[in-house]
Amino acid sequence: MLSTPLTMSSSLILVLLLLLYPVLTTLNPNPQEDTWALLKVKTAVKMAFFISLLPLFLLLNEGAETIVTNWNWANTLTFDINISFKFDHYSTIFTPIALYVTWSILEFASWYMHADPSMNRFFKYLLIFLIAMIILVTANNMFQLFIGWEGVGIMSFLLIGWWYGRADANTAALQAVLYNRVGDIGLIFAMAWMAMNTNSWEMQQMFATAKDLDLTFPLIGFIVAATGKSAQFGLHPWLPSAMEGPTPVSALLHSSTMVVAGIFLLIRMSPLMENNQTALTTCLCLGALTTVFTATCALTQNDIKKIVAFSTSSQLGLMMVTIGLNQPQLAFLHICTHAFFKAMLFLCSGSIIHSLNDEQDIRKMGGMHHLTPLTSSCLTIGSLALTGTPFLAGFFSKDAIIEALNTSHLNAWALTMTLLATSFTAVYSLRVVFFVSMGHPRFSPLSPINENNPAVINPIKRLAWGSIIAGFLITSNILPLKTPIMTMPPLLKLAALIVTILGLILALELASLTNKQFKPTPQLTPHHFSNMLGFFPAVIHRLIPKLGLILGQAVASQTIDQTWLEKVGPKAVASLNIPLITTISNTQRGMIKTYLTLFLLTLTLAILLLTI
Amino acid sequence: MTPVHFTFSSAFLLGLTGLTFHRTHLLSALLCLEGMMLSLFIALSLWALQLSSISFSASPLLLLAFSACEASAGLALLVATARTHGSDRLQTLNLLQC
Repeated sequence: MLSTPLTMSSSLILVLLLLLYPVLTTLNPNPQEDTWALLKVKTAVKMAFFISLLPLFLLLNEGAETIVTNWNWANTLTFDINISFKFDHYSTIFTPIALYVTWSILEFASWYMHADPSMNRFFKYLLIFLIAMIILVTANNMFQLFIGWEGVGIMSFLLIGWWYGRADANTAALQAVLYNRVGDIGLIFAMAWMAMNTNSWEMQQMFATAKDLDLTFPLIGFIVAATGKSAQFGLHPWLPSAMEGPTPVSALLHSSTMVVAGIFLLIRMSPLMENNQTALTTCLCLGALTTVFTATCALTQNDIKKIVAFSTSSQLGLMMVTIGLNQPQLAFLHICTHAFFKAMLFLCSGSIIHSLNDEQDIRKMGGMHHLTPLTSSCLTIGSLALTGTPFLAGFFSKDAIIEALNTSHLNAWALTMTLLATSFTAVYSLRVVFFVSMGHPRFSPLSPINENNPAVINPIKRLAWGSIIAGFLITSNILPLKTPIMTMPPLLKLAALIVTILGLILALELASLTNKQFKPTPQLTPHHFSNMLGFFPAVIHRLIPKLGLILGQAVASQTIDQTWLEKVGPKAVASLNIPLITTISNTQRGMIKTYLTLFLLTLTLAILLLTI
Repeated sequence: MTPVHFTFSSAFLLGLTGLTFHRTHLLSALLCLEGMMLSLFIALSLWALQLSSISFSASPLLLLAFSACEASAGLALLVATARTHGSDRLQTLNLLQC
């Protein structure tokens, strides 16, 4: 009867309150006890996960979605802002997944950061981030979404710069904030357009009234916002730099949750994007460019976290391509499955890094399969899921996307680039597994290799289970909103698998070349292009500030200070008069010759005038 | 004007130009001054002859006497300049320059 809406709304509000409670207890001026992080925060997230399963099951059983409007926050005569939560199937599915992943990451972080004196503060930041992310995905109006959007941006800044004594970390945090801010311009523009033309920021009213309007401008604004937040090409350098933060931060923010916020925004706005071919094509081409560029950059990186970061960026490009194909539900499916295996890849990397005494260069790892069997096995499972191995988690989303790509009448360049990026995914995944787990160890013998702590093992195991069965679970329980095309030529159907296997074989061949030398000197130009990230950061990070500073110098210093306030003002009087004064003074020196010359001239003039 | 008229007028004007545009030496100015006096002498003489006025025919000699005085005054100034400034070069005559 009434129990379903009641259960859904109360449990979801309860989730938010449970997550807020530990944060509020820190307003107490006394410092918390040392086990606060482990006891309060992780327990809160675990309980919130289990409570959020209730609405998920109600959704699966009855298809129930709910919108809760709590409070009329601000209103003018014509414009209202409310606090309203939208628990439709996107946010109801995403919330338990985000909480599950966060629970695992918090447990891992209690081991990873146990030597850090401000571990409690770290956990508080992660919790505030989680709350902001949930506000973002459950927002029913743009204002609340913007609150969540900015919240995750700020927490990203604070968490990337966690080790603020390190200059690179501060630079990376600043880079993240600046690139996100550029994206925010697009979001604010779109919000202003919506406020002006549809008179509301509530999503239902926006969708209803914007049907007949030309939506190119706000959609471009949303795409710019997604470019900033989800590290698409053009605003992408912050994501690899964000690996300066601790591994739990990379696992939570920059793989599963924050960077998908941009894609999630576009998924929410997909009813507006359906009919606008310009926006769809922009998404498609931007996503294709992103995925192939970042996959190329990942091929030659030597830092394990950077490889995984570029892998994230490439998968985000793939999600953008999916939105460009007008398949928001497939993009959402990929977000959910990607969260599991990407977080697990980061946790495995973190475990290996700590075991090798903070060594992050894969050229100095090796043979971990014998030394940390569980971690390297889960690394392999994660990589296989990433490349779309049949019937693991990534397969259901990635293969569906590539099938939809191959059967649609769209930009052929985008299709080709995406397939190329898929093969590159196999190449760099094999590269990671080859350098980390295979071969002989290349590190010093006295490394604190440890897999015995359950705080490390259990999260990785949980996420491994998720990486294996999540895709299957989600696709068997959620009905697709758009009919997928089920019949296609066999080559197209197997295209993803074929390019992946080709990439794998190629990578195996390349890996076997590591101890042979075919050429006396290697040809380094493509390697340099890939290793230096296409020279994009090197050029842009110096060019843009230089242009800004030159503009500032031209306007403030030269135009206003030097010209208007000096040369045109006070100095103009002097500079105009002094030449005149000098000329006159030269003739009035009291020389007899001047005097006599003037006398003659006057005489001549007088004679001429009197006689003519 | 008649050729004679033109001759002594131009001689006078040339002398005046030479007086005003002298470049290096004060002596050249004095010489031009003498030239001007000479042309005036010729002019007065011709005037008395043309107009046949008897009473006016002493004027050239008066002019000559006065020009002699004036020339001696000029030469005295030249000598004084040479005595105080070392030479009669005009570059030294700039004490009044501001």
